[in-house]
Amino acid sequence: MSCFEGQLASWVAPAPVAMPLDTTRTIAQLVAEYSTALYRVAFSVTRNAAEAEDAVQETFLRVLRHESRLGEIRDYRVWLVRIVWNIVLDRKRRAKTRPEGEDLADHARALPSSDRAADASVISAQERDRILALIDRLPVREREALLLSAVEELTTAEIAAALRTTESSIRSRIFRARRELAVLLEKEGIPR
Amino acid sequence: MTPKSVNTEMNSGADPLSSATIDSALRSVGSATPAPGLEGRILTRLATERVRLDAAPARLPLSARLRQLPRLPVRALGLVAACCLGFVIVFSTVSHSRRVGPGHVVAPPVLVLPGNGIGAASAVHPAAPASAPVPASPGSRGRSARRSGPGRARIAPHSRKAPGVAVPPPSADKPPSDSQD
Repeated sequence: MSCFEGQLASWVAPAPVAMPLDTTRTIAQLVAEYSTALYRVAFSVTRNAAEAEDAVQETFLRVLRHESRLGEIRDYRVWLVRIVWNIVLDRKRRAKTRPEGEDLADHARALPSSDRAADASVISAQERDRILALIDRLPVREREALLLSAVEELTTAEIAAALRTTESSIRSRIFRARRELAVLLEKEGIPR
Repeated sequence: MTPKSVNTEMNSGADPLSSATIDSALRSVGSATPAPGLEGRILTRLATERVRLDAAPARLPLSARLRQLPRLPVRALGLVAACCLGFVIVFSTVSHSRRVGPGHVVAPPVLVLPGNGIGAASAVHPAAPASAPVPASPGSRGRSARRSGPGRARIAPHSRKAPGVAVPPPSADKPPSDSQD
C-alpha cells in the first residue's frame, strides 16, 4: 500500500475505541503490584524512608491525575519507574543542601531480616554509608544505572527503557561504575 | 520474576572482595523494605485526592481548554475572523479614499482647441510658468565674494620664497604692481 493510501486509510478508518477501563481498580492493582519496587527505586536515590514513601505516593497521585492515559500505557512498570525516578531526581535537585539523608535506621530496615546477619558479616553500616557516599561521587549516568541495577525487580531492559537508552549502554555504564567504584574504594582504603 | 543479584550481570574485573563490598552496599539500597502498610497509606491518600478532584472541577489552562474545542468550529471561527479582517481593510481603504476627495487631485492643464476641426496635436498648450531668478537674501554672499577688507595685501618680510624669484621689497608709498616685470 502506498503512502497516500496508508494515510487515507488512517483518515477513513474509525478511531480505535478504547476499552472502558476501571481506573480505580487498575490503580489499586498498580499500587499492590509496584509500590515496593517503586519504593526501592526512590530509596536508592533518597536513602530516606519517609522521602522514598512520599515519592511513591506522589507517583500514584500523578497516575490518578492522568488516569485517562492509563489505557495507552504499554508497560506499567517502566512508566511508573520513570515517574518516580523523575520525582526523586527533581526533589534531590531542589534540596541540594541535604546530604543524601543518611539514616541508619533506614538502612537497618532496608535489609530483610534474613539477609541482615549475612551482610553484617561482610560490611558494617559505616562502611556501607561510605560506599554509598562514594557512589554519589560517580558520574551521573553511571550512578543512575548502578543504583537502578541494584533494585531487584528491574531488569536491564527495564532500566534501559526507564532511562531512555539501550541495554548495551546500561551494561557498559554499570561496568564503568563498578570499576570506578573499585578504584575509589582502593583510594579511600575502605577495609574489605 | 526472579530477583536478580546485583553482581551477577556485571563484574568489572575487580577483585572479589571489592565486588562483594559493593554488592552488599547496593543490596542494602536495592532491597529496602518499606514500612508496613505502605499500600494502605497510598490508597488512603489516593481516595482523598479522588474526593478532592471530584469536588472541584478540573481547572485546565487556557491552552488545554482551547485544545479541547472541536476542530470544525475552530476552523470556521478562523475563517469568519479572516473575512472580518478583510472587510475592515477594504472598507477603511475606500473610506480613506473618499475622505481625501477629488479636490486634492491636481487638475490637468486645459487645452485650448482651435475649433476648426484640427486635432488636439495642434491645440494651444498653456505655457509653463517662466522660471525666474531667485533673489539673494541680504545676509547671503556669493562663493567668490571677497572676505578681506580694502587695501593691499601684506607680505611678511621673512617669508620664504623660491630662489631666483625677484620680489620687490615692500614700500609704504608705492602700491604693488600686478605684473612682476
